[in-house]
Amino acid sequence: MATTQVTSEVIGSVWKIEKAEGDAVAEGELIMILESMKMEIPVEAPVAGTLAAIKVKPEESVEEDQVLCLIES
Amino acid sequence: MPDRKLEKGGGFWAAQIDELEQRRGFAADMGGPDNIARQHKAGRLTVRERIERITDAGSFREVGTLAGTGDYDEALKLKGVTPSTYVAGTARIDGRPVAIGGEDFTIRGGTSFGAQRRKGGQGGYIEDLAHHYKMPLVNLIDGAGGSVTSAKRRGFVTFPGVDGFERSVELLGEVPVASAVLGTAAGGPAGRAILSHFSVMVDGTSQIFAAGPPVVKRSLGQTISKEELGGPAVAVTKAGSIHNVAETEHDALAQIRRFLSFMPQNVWELPPRLPADDPVDRREEGLLDIVPEQRTRPYDMKKLVELVVDKDLSFEIRPTYGRAIITMLARLGGRPVGIVANNPKIYGGAMDADAARKQIHFMELCDTFHIPLVFLVDVPGFMVGLKAEQDGTLREGMRAVYMAAQLKVPTLTMVIRKCYGMAGMATCNKNDIDLKLAWPSGEWGSLPVEGGVAAAFRREIEAAEDPKAREKELEAELRAYASPFRTAEALAVEEIIDPRETRPILCDYIALAEDRLRIGLGPRAKAGVAP
Repeated sequence: MATTQVTSEVIGSVWKIEKAEGDAVAEGELIMILESMKMEIPVEAPVAGTLAAIKVKPEESVEEDQVLCLIES
Repeated sequence: MPDRKLEKGGGFWAAQIDELEQRRGFAADMGGPDNIARQHKAGRLTVRERIERITDAGSFREVGTLAGTGDYDEALKLKGVTPSTYVAGTARIDGRPVAIGGEDFTIRGGTSFGAQRRKGGQGGYIEDLAHHYKMPLVNLIDGAGGSVTSAKRRGFVTFPGVDGFERSVELLGEVPVASAVLGTAAGGPAGRAILSHFSVMVDGTSQIFAAGPPVVKRSLGQTISKEELGGPAVAVTKAGSIHNVAETEHDALAQIRRFLSFMPQNVWELPPRLPADDPVDRREEGLLDIVPEQRTRPYDMKKLVELVVDKDLSFEIRPTYGRAIITMLARLGGRPVGIVANNPKIYGGAMDADAARKQIHFMELCDTFHIPLVFLVDVPGFMVGLKAEQDGTLREGMRAVYMAAQLKVPTLTMVIRKCYGMAGMATCNKNDIDLKLAWPSGEWGSLPVEGGVAAAFRREIEAAEDPKAREKELEAELRAYASPFRTAEALAVEEIIDPRETRPILCDYIALAEDRLRIGLGPRAKAGVAP
């Protein structure tokens, strides 16, 4: 079992979270949408697996490289 | 003894010819089988293998083959020669002449050797050759620079710059210079790699830094591995010191060949045109709906670029650094072009300090070698926020504007979506025809409506019963003026096009620009003090 950290590529805020902890995700599937520079930044699963933890809440500010969620696969 | 020499069939000079062969043999042996095996075990090729791989078969003509340190017996008879730590010569790459050289790591780790005349690295014979014969220079870097042991051998320490970078600097305005970092580079060789138009390093087997872990330990007390200090994660992606990463040495050498395929031999020539296999009038249906209807959604700019340019011929420079900008050498109708495209996936394409540095380098590269620039624009402005200000985004961004204002090369500006503010100004060339083409999705201004409304109508919004609703109202009101067609009425953009016409129109203008390019050949004059 490997755990993959999904990190934010941008500084911004969490707009919408589309998945819940425990959900199965396919590679490339949308997990959440961030907002940065008035743009929607989709966060997609880099690997297939189970969403083990979501580390942020909607409207929360995020920094570059901040861990957003963990995927176990 | 003429008779003996005649018997050997080599004429009067047979002994000398034999000695020449013997001395060439010493050079070919490099640092000996053990050191060569060690080099291979580390996953690296020897400098001679590298030269053989990157150049056309049989085209390498060595110069300075016999340079080295001779070992003689009491009767002054030659016992052996430790070759100099640099191998250099001329060769052909894809049929075109280059000067090429590299350190031989199998001899004293490629440290400089201290002859009458340097072969290469910092200036040296090979760089003189590239300068006088106006041909590209390829550096195969694998050495750690000066060694303190040289002082003992020499009897004194040299002043910095005795073997200077004057020629290396001069070459940057004359001929293409490409460097591969193929081992651990520190000091002079590391500096040499930076003084290049294109540089590449190999993931896992090469590192580059001003000074390596032992010096860091001694100076700062920090313990750090050479990979952590100067592997691609730092040197390429974070610092942008080196442009590209290669998976293997073979890949690194292939990237240099690829880079050179777009370059003229020197600044007095046009870049090489290839036969255009991809039709110049290809209308790409996929371009029609590539930009999402919602202006807040990103899209794949790299895919957009690939749909427009000649198929399978593009080469991205610095894919991992300053990712808000995509810089790519490509071809349109077989003619080299430099593509600068904003990447809406990273900060909506906003220009941060790294993106600005990347754009500046690429604009200078294309301007120097007469490669027309095509901007595919989707830039909301400079990046904002505390980190961006701390990073010096404003100064770096204005440096991009300054550099764009000095471009001499033909430049086409294609607005895909947003073109705002000062970052937008860095996508146009006012010294050229200043042709601004736009897709119907284009929008522009001094700043995007959203942020601008909040700032300009602050009092009115605050006084409103429902401030949020008033802000939205004002935005909608102003957005009505933002139609690209209204700007086209005023000829403030020259043409609005169907996205599917992008390739035919760009190919046509690039072909038209050829005569203009021809009369602008030669070195670029430097002007002013960059901000």
